Amino acid sequence: MEVPEAPHSFAEVGSKAGGYRFFGNAEGNLRIAAWGFWPIEVIRVFGAEAPAATQTLTRTSVFVFDGTDLKPQGTEGQEAIRMLFHSLTRLPFAKGLIIRGNAMTCMQLARLLRECGAERRLEFADTLPFGT
Amino acid sequence: MASAKDEATKVIYQFYDALEDLLRTRRTGAMLEIWHHTDYVATSHPFGSWARGWTEVKVNWEESAAALDNYRGHDTRTDGIGAIHDLEMIVLGDTAYGTGIYRSRLYMSDGELDLVLNCTTIAHCIDGVWKIVHHHADQAPLAWQAAIGRMVAGHS
Repeated sequence: MEVPEAPHSFAEVGSKAGGYRFFGNAEGNLRIAAWGFWPIEVIRVFGAEAPAATQTLTRTSVFVFDGTDLKPQGTEGQEAIRMLFHSLTRLPFAKGLIIRGNAMTCMQLARLLRECGAERRLEFADTLPFGT
Repeated sequence: MASAKDEATKVIYQFYDALEDLLRTRRTGAMLEIWHHTDYVATSHPFGSWARGWTEVKVNWEESAAALDNYRGHDTRTDGIGAIHDLEMIVLGDTAYGTGIYRSRLYMSDGELDLVLNCTTIAHCIDGVWKIVHHHADQAPLAWQAAIGRMVAGHS
């Protein structure tokens, strides 16, 4: 199994009102926890960092997008999430999950997945899998 | 000249007309027009948490319309999707609220999907213009939310 260069990583962008965190672990898993309504500053950073962060995924990785506390995003926020989903369609990873929260956010994420052709790479789940 | 109660009642019914237009045509123009665009507006939908401030409220209505992209149940029907019933209006100066029961019916691929919710809608008069500043609907039953979720995912 491949070992990611950074065995543990953590990055947080934004504020209580809206932002995200990256979590990586020694198994090459990546979790993005997103919350609130993203201001344009957060969107710009996410749009650049999130697709780059997914490059650490390997064939055995689990990718989790934790949207438990995420609100439906505006046009720019949706585009940043589309960029993430597009990047995931081209990457090898074992399992992709979206953790459910706000039902309307789930609808938005389901729509964005469909628009990106990524609906078969990520499935919705109610809780985080162990170890991510 | 119409009374404040008449004006406020009219705008509440216009709100539900705008909702019907949004659900039926996916057009958001009437819905976005009926709201005051301020930072103190708020809305909560049958399948979502609070949206606070105009930016979030606008996104919620746009997403509600987008969620129905896969819905074809009314393509060949002329009956309404939903309406407010038993609307009671209270006017307090330049603010008014309406309480009522919203009933709707969607025609899904696996049958009819009914919804009955208590709703409260608040209108505020600014510079002589009554518009909506708050809308709250009960949370829909989980089975209803799940059916809508399947539709959004393209499975119904």
